[in-house]
Amino acid sequence: MKTVYICNDTITGIFSAVYDAWRDRQREETCKIAFKNTLEQELFCEYRQVEETEHKAQAVENLIKKHLGRRAYWDLYHAVLSQDEEKGDAVLGTMLAAREIPDSTKIMEHLSHPKVAMAFRLGRNVEGEAHSYKGFLRFRELASGVLYSEITPKNQVLTCLAPHFADRLPLENWMIYDKTHQMFVVHEKAKKWVLVWNEDIDLSAASRVSDKEMEYARLWKSFVRTIAIESRTNPKCQLNHLPLHFRGDMLEMG
Amino acid sequence: MHIQESMSMYEKLNILTDAAKYDVACTSSGTSRKGDGTGMGTCEQSGICHSFSADGRCISLLKILFTNECIYDCRYCVNRRSNDIIRTSFTPDEVCTLTMEFYRRNYIEGLFLSSGILRSPDYTMELIYAALYKLRRECNFQGYIHVKAIPGANTELIQRVGFLADRMSVNLELPTAESLRLLAPHKSRRNILTPMRLVQNRMEENKQELALYRNAPRFVPAGQSTQMIIGATPETDYQIIQVAESLYQKFELKRVFYSAFVHVNEDKALPKRTDEGPPLLREHRLYQADWLLRYYHFQASELLSEENPNFNVMLDPKCNWALKHLEQFPVEINRADYKMLLRVPGLGYKSAVRIVKARRLGVLGFTDLKKMGVVLKRAMYFITCSGRMMYPTKLEEDYITRNLLNVGERLPEEVRNMGYRQLSLFDDVRFGSGFYEKAGGTI
Repeated sequence: MKTVYICNDTITGIFSAVYDAWRDRQREETCKIAFKNTLEQELFCEYRQVEETEHKAQAVENLIKKHLGRRAYWDLYHAVLSQDEEKGDAVLGTMLAAREIPDSTKIMEHLSHPKVAMAFRLGRNVEGEAHSYKGFLRFRELASGVLYSEITPKNQVLTCLAPHFADRLPLENWMIYDKTHQMFVVHEKAKKWVLVWNEDIDLSAASRVSDKEMEYARLWKSFVRTIAIESRTNPKCQLNHLPLHFRGDMLEMG
Repeated sequence: MHIQESMSMYEKLNILTDAAKYDVACTSSGTSRKGDGTGMGTCEQSGICHSFSADGRCISLLKILFTNECIYDCRYCVNRRSNDIIRTSFTPDEVCTLTMEFYRRNYIEGLFLSSGILRSPDYTMELIYAALYKLRRECNFQGYIHVKAIPGANTELIQRVGFLADRMSVNLELPTAESLRLLAPHKSRRNILTPMRLVQNRMEENKQELALYRNAPRFVPAGQSTQMIIGATPETDYQIIQVAESLYQKFELKRVFYSAFVHVNEDKALPKRTDEGPPLLREHRLYQADWLLRYYHFQASELLSEENPNFNVMLDPKCNWALKHLEQFPVEINRADYKMLLRVPGLGYKSAVRIVKARRLGVLGFTDLKKMGVVLKRAMYFITCSGRMMYPTKLEEDYITRNLLNVGERLPEEVRNMGYRQLSLFDDVRFGSGFYEKAGGTI
C-alpha cells in the first residue's frame, strides 16, 4: 500500500514531507507527496497529514547540501518552486537515487534516471522563467516614489528575482507583486528584502503613478518602436523570444 | 543650415535611436559584477534580454547615437554627410538621465553608445568619455556599457574610455580592404585595425595588473567585438568566415557580428535595389557558421573552400558538413569522444556536456537523449545508442538530405519552392564579375 504525504505547496511544506518520508524509510514506489488543495483521492493509499515545521525543512536542506552538494541543492530548490504537481516526488526520488551511485554529489548528472531527469527539467524550467522575468519585468514609479511591478509567472519565481533586484537597486524602495500566487516581495531602501503572503495589502496606491512616470513610459514605448528595422519585420521571431503570456504585464506591449 | 534651438527629449531620442538601429550588437553578456550597494546596477555573465522589437531582435541596451552629425560620407550609411536629414546631438547629461531612469524601471540592461563623427574623431571620443565618466563616477552606475571606439581618435582617450566601459567595439564595416575603399572612402582598414589592436594589447596588460592587484581597475572586461555588413559587396561566404576566423585568432575578439545589408541610400556603388529585402538567410547561415567556429571546434576551411565558397541555403552549415563526411558516422553516443559529439547535427554543446557526464552513471538510450535536449529528428541519422539506430535508416547523402529538409527549419517561401536537386550549390550573392570596375568608375 502506498503512503501519501499531504502538505502545503511551499518550500517548508514539501521539505517537511520529504523529511517524514525519509524518516519512515520509504522507497520511491511506496510513497507519494501530494498537496492539500489539489489532492485527488486514490484507492489503496494511506493518507498522512504532514506536520510542517521550519526545523524539518532546515534538516532536509542541510541533508541535501551536505550529501548532494550546493549545486544540486539549488537545482532541487528551483524544482520545488515549479508549477508541476509531481515535484515533491521528483525531489524525493532524486535524493533516494543519490544513495545508489558511488559519488552522490554527481546526482544531477545522472539523467538516465527518470526522477533525476524530471527534477532537472523542472529546475531548469523555473530558472528559465526567473531569467526571463529578470528582463521582462517592468517597474513603474508611484507617486510615493516606490517602484512597483506586477507579474504573472507560472512558477513561484519571486524568491529567485528578489536577490537579483536587491543587488541591482539597493537604494530604491521597490515591490513586486506575483498575481498568480498572490505574493509580494518588498524591498526597503538599503535593507533586506522580505517575502509577504496571506496578507491583505491595499493596492489602490499602485494606480497613482508619479508625474515623470508618464513621460518615461512614453519615451520607452517610442524607443521600442523606433529601434526595429522595417525591412526585417518578423513577428514570428518576436513571438518565439517573447511569448504572449509575458506581454500582458509589459508596458511597451500594451 | 537650419538650426532648431529647442528639440524635445522625445524628438531627440527618436532621431538618435532611428540612426542607431542598424548597429547589430545588443548583447549585455561577457562580464559579471555585483552591486557595491552605493549606486545602481549589476551585470550578469549570460546577459539579459529586456524586450524584443518587431523585427525579432533582442533589446537589451539603450542603443543610441551620441550624435548623428558626421563628417564622413560612407555610401551605405543613413548618417552620411551628404544625406539631408535632421541632425541632433545629446548632451552627456541627457544620456545619463535617460540611462538611469530607464535602468531603474528595468527597461534596459545598460547603455550602448555609438556616434557619428562630430568635428573630429578626438572631439567625438571626448564627448563620449564625458558622458561615460558622468554615468560611472557621478551617478554610480554599475550596469553594462558598450561603447564604440572611434577609429582615428587619440590612443590615450580610447584607453580612458576602456576603463569605464564593459565592452568596446570598432566596426570593421566591410569584410575586405578593397570594399572599404570603395564604399567608405574616408575610412581605411589600417585605421580600423589600429584601435582594435590597441584594445587587445591593453586587455592583455590589464590581465597582468589584475593578477598582481585584485582590485586594479578593469579594462573592457567583457572583451571587444566588431561588425561587418554582408551583401553590400561581392565577398563570398568563405572570405567572410575566414576574416571572422582570423579576427578571433589574431585579435582575440569576443564576437563578430554580421549585418545583412539594408538599402537606405541610393548610390551607384551599392548593389541594385531588389524586392527581396536584406539577405537575412545568408546572415543566418553566417551566424550559424560563426558558432561552429567559436564553440564547436570547427575551422573555416572545413566548412567552405575556394571551389565551394558559399553556404548551402537549404541546410545549416553543420548538417552540410556532416553530409559531406558520412564516413565519420554513425557515432555511438555511449562511447564517442566529446569533440566528435559536437559535430553531430542536432546536438548542441550543452547536450554534449550532459551526455558525457550522464553516460558515466548509466547507459543512455534515445528517450534519455530527448530529455536532455537533443534534437532527435536531426540527430537520428547520425547516431547509435548501444549499437542501434533509432529507426532503420540509410547512411546515404541523398536520403538523409531529403528527410532533413522535410523536418528542417522554416525556410522562406522562395527557397522552399526551388527544390533541393536544382540547387545543390546556391549562392545568395547578386553580383556579376565586373563589380569593382563598374563601381570604381563612379568615384
